[in-house]
Amino acid sequence: METISLLTWSLDGLLGLSLLWLAWRALTTPDLFKAVVLFIAFGLLITLVWVRLDAPDVALAEAAIGAGLTGALLLSALSRLDSTNSDPAPVNSGEAPVNQKPGRFESIHWWPFLSLVLVSAGLGSVILSMPAAFSGLSPEVNAQLTNSGVENPVTAVLLNFRAYDTLLEMVVLLIALLGVWSLGGGVKHKEPFPGTVLDILTRLLTPVLILVSAYLLWVGAHAPGGAFQAGSVLGAAGVLLMLSGWQLQMNIPVLLIRLILLAGPFAFIAMAAITMMIEGQLLQYPTAHAGLLILLLETLATLSIGATLAALFLGGQTWKNDEESL
Amino acid sequence: MDVLLTSSAFAITLILLPLTAGMLCFLWPAIARILGIVTTAAGVFAVAGLGWQLQLNGTFHHPIGGWGAPLGIDLYADGLSLLMLGMTALVALAVSIYSSGYFTSRDDEIRFWPIWLLLLGALNALFLAADIFNLYVTLELMGLGAVALAALSGGKQAIAGAMRYLLATLLGSMCYLLGVALLYHSFGSVDIATLAVRIDSSPAVWAALGLIIAGLALKTALFPLHFWLPPAHASAPAPVSALLSALVVKASFYILLRLWLSIFSPQGVGDGVNTLLGLLGGIAVIWGSVQALRQTRLKLLIAYSTVAQIGYLFLAFPLAAASGGLAWNAVAYLALSHALAKAAMFLSAGNLLRYGGHDRIADLDRVAQRLPLTAGAFALAGVSIMGLPPSGGFIGKWLLLKAALDQGNWAIIVVLLLGGLLAAAYIFKVLGNIFTQASHPHEPSMVPARMEWAALLLASGAILLSFMASPIFELINIGDVFITTGVKS
Amino acid sequence: MTTAILYALTGIGLFSLALYSLIVQAHLLRKILAINIMGSGVFLVLIALAKRSDEIPDPVPHAMVITGIVVAVSATALALSMMLKLNTETHHAELPDDQQG
Repeated sequence: METISLLTWSLDGLLGLSLLWLAWRALTTPDLFKAVVLFIAFGLLITLVWVRLDAPDVALAEAAIGAGLTGALLLSALSRLDSTNSDPAPVNSGEAPVNQKPGRFESIHWWPFLSLVLVSAGLGSVILSMPAAFSGLSPEVNAQLTNSGVENPVTAVLLNFRAYDTLLEMVVLLIALLGVWSLGGGVKHKEPFPGTVLDILTRLLTPVLILVSAYLLWVGAHAPGGAFQAGSVLGAAGVLLMLSGWQLQMNIPVLLIRLILLAGPFAFIAMAAITMMIEGQLLQYPTAHAGLLILLLETLATLSIGATLAALFLGGQTWKNDEESL
Repeated sequence: MDVLLTSSAFAITLILLPLTAGMLCFLWPAIARILGIVTTAAGVFAVAGLGWQLQLNGTFHHPIGGWGAPLGIDLYADGLSLLMLGMTALVALAVSIYSSGYFTSRDDEIRFWPIWLLLLGALNALFLAADIFNLYVTLELMGLGAVALAALSGGKQAIAGAMRYLLATLLGSMCYLLGVALLYHSFGSVDIATLAVRIDSSPAVWAALGLIIAGLALKTALFPLHFWLPPAHASAPAPVSALLSALVVKASFYILLRLWLSIFSPQGVGDGVNTLLGLLGGIAVIWGSVQALRQTRLKLLIAYSTVAQIGYLFLAFPLAAASGGLAWNAVAYLALSHALAKAAMFLSAGNLLRYGGHDRIADLDRVAQRLPLTAGAFALAGVSIMGLPPSGGFIGKWLLLKAALDQGNWAIIVVLLLGGLLAAAYIFKVLGNIFTQASHPHEPSMVPARMEWAALLLASGAILLSFMASPIFELINIGDVFITTGVKS
Repeated sequence: MTTAILYALTGIGLFSLALYSLIVQAHLLRKILAINIMGSGVFLVLIALAKRSDEIPDPVPHAMVITGIVVAVSATALALSMMLKLNTETHHAELPDDQQG
């Protein structure tokens, strides 16, 4: 039970209000580019909130995936939008079109607004009614942590206790990529020469990012980090390379690329099948080797996640031109 | 050898095999068709094996990783899961056979098979799940796959329909997840069995109930949240439409039903919700049927028919409390027969489209003579949809009617009768045009035999269900999921 | 009001704000932004309420949120691809019945 002092209360209040304000601005600003930038800022602010709430693993993932990669995806999509007829002025922007000036209140859609005010009030009161102290599953996690093979409880949950969810999640990434690829129609985007700064920065940063990724992978066993964080940093390196116009000079066979994409989910499924046949229980690691097995799974997962995220950024390539593109 | 024939082995095969096959199809597209058919055939055997084991040993329960709930994730199968798995396996096999004839170019094949098989894995994983967060992940996997498949035919209509579907399904997932968050933070578990024990009547539970039902109702296209379904199901390629109407909407309904039966209603939480669901279901039946009648294009007609048939499933909620297991058995039977019949209908529509190049109802040209198997399939499927004997649809609707009569619920009786009449009207509208010559006759294209047979076999299955009622009811009730004791409503 | 409750309420606020925007805005990119912010709202509820435990916060919601973030980016990528394809076909970025003019 903690009542927070005035200082922390005002800091948290400020963070919370800023979140709400940033979100509202991102959703209603008339300029789409501004909206996306505000969204990225929102992502970074929420990363701070995760740190404040003692969720460093989540903060790492949010910064890399939620703010970073999602932001990159949004910006890339925005640049490819044919904006001749799109983007009418959004509602509630507070900036009226030139000829008419609807008052602020006229542009609100009343029925959704009122019903959502009611819903939020209801949910808010539900939250307020929840007990102030609640331990959830942390006792159970702590009890079994030594048997899980790792010391970071979040990694233990993701890669051992609830590894089945992670298995399915790897497949989610894959199916999204398959969906993006089957839509096809991505115009082969020839990136212009990026300019000296970006070029040099990329050359410097890429090896650093790869190192950071490897570090996050390794350290995830006993400190914040893990496969998703490492994989997303790797993916970010891939995105950076693509943005700087770096073309793959060597002919990586298509099969190898596909194998890398599949390595993560395959590893989980193979582990599942093997443990099923040996131990009779799905995904039950022998306790002595659990740490090693988890590291193995995480390594393959990191590669897959990185490749998949970079591929998602690359977007729709047709299946046909296998030799030239992906 | 023993370990290979346990429930666990069959259940886990059902999940892992399609996932692996999907990935293999992605690696080697050349074998995609064969692999798809082999996988779905193996799925039918695995479900049969699981059913055999469930009959011998009762419900199946598998703690993944050996941890056990609430720390770990459990797999669970009872009669209801078995029913859903069986429905999925049969429709999956038929659709796979159909698709091997429908998708002919290498491009189409590589777009369809990997995503389809991964979707199948997601469906099976969903029906075997016992953990509400795990259900969220399977729901998302299934949803993304379904959307990707719905967009396959390209073109403005399909993409717009798929986009609307994607937004609706994501909205539904967010509401569902918020409900899960509230439940977890009230009771410290996401395992269904554990929650069933710990649940109470606090405001958080009511909020969670509302959110979960809203999210799942949106995904199941219950009126008035059905707006996304007709465009998406109508503009998808025929086998995909069959999957969407037969399986994907049933998955979210299954989750709703499971959570309702296991967690919420035994404690009497949400008594008034019954009536609301029944009301919306009734409106869906009438509205959907009327809209179906008004359509000029066949696939849209069939899609609106799905909206109506989903309404029937929700009619059971107000009847369930006083009817013992009768209303729920009706729901199970209706879900199963609808899956077979609706899939058959969409596959037939695909044949008609392939044959004539269009699906305008008024211009269906002498189909009965040129494609007798397809006409037969559509007619048989129609019998089940209308609820005429002998068919699975008849049994389901008859049970609902009986439950309503027993309770004197005249509103539902009227809905059932009216719905039946309207269904007959729109089915005969199509059948009428199948037998006549169009005003502009055209040269027919060839339709591969397997496509016709797939449709016909599914439709016959819907009819055959009427003869298998007793053994099916016995199987469904393994685990007694429909007996809710101490219900107060 | 504890830290946990405060942030959980913020999460509810984000959820509702984004839901309103999703319903009311026509442009697909904004709808996609709205879905992402709704997701962040739900994640905030999950993590904030996990901080109610005495020592270290409950790790299971953290794992759930990491899973959720990955699912969200996958869905966003798919949605953006579809939006672009629709845009190529129709030169609009709204769903057909939402288009104005």
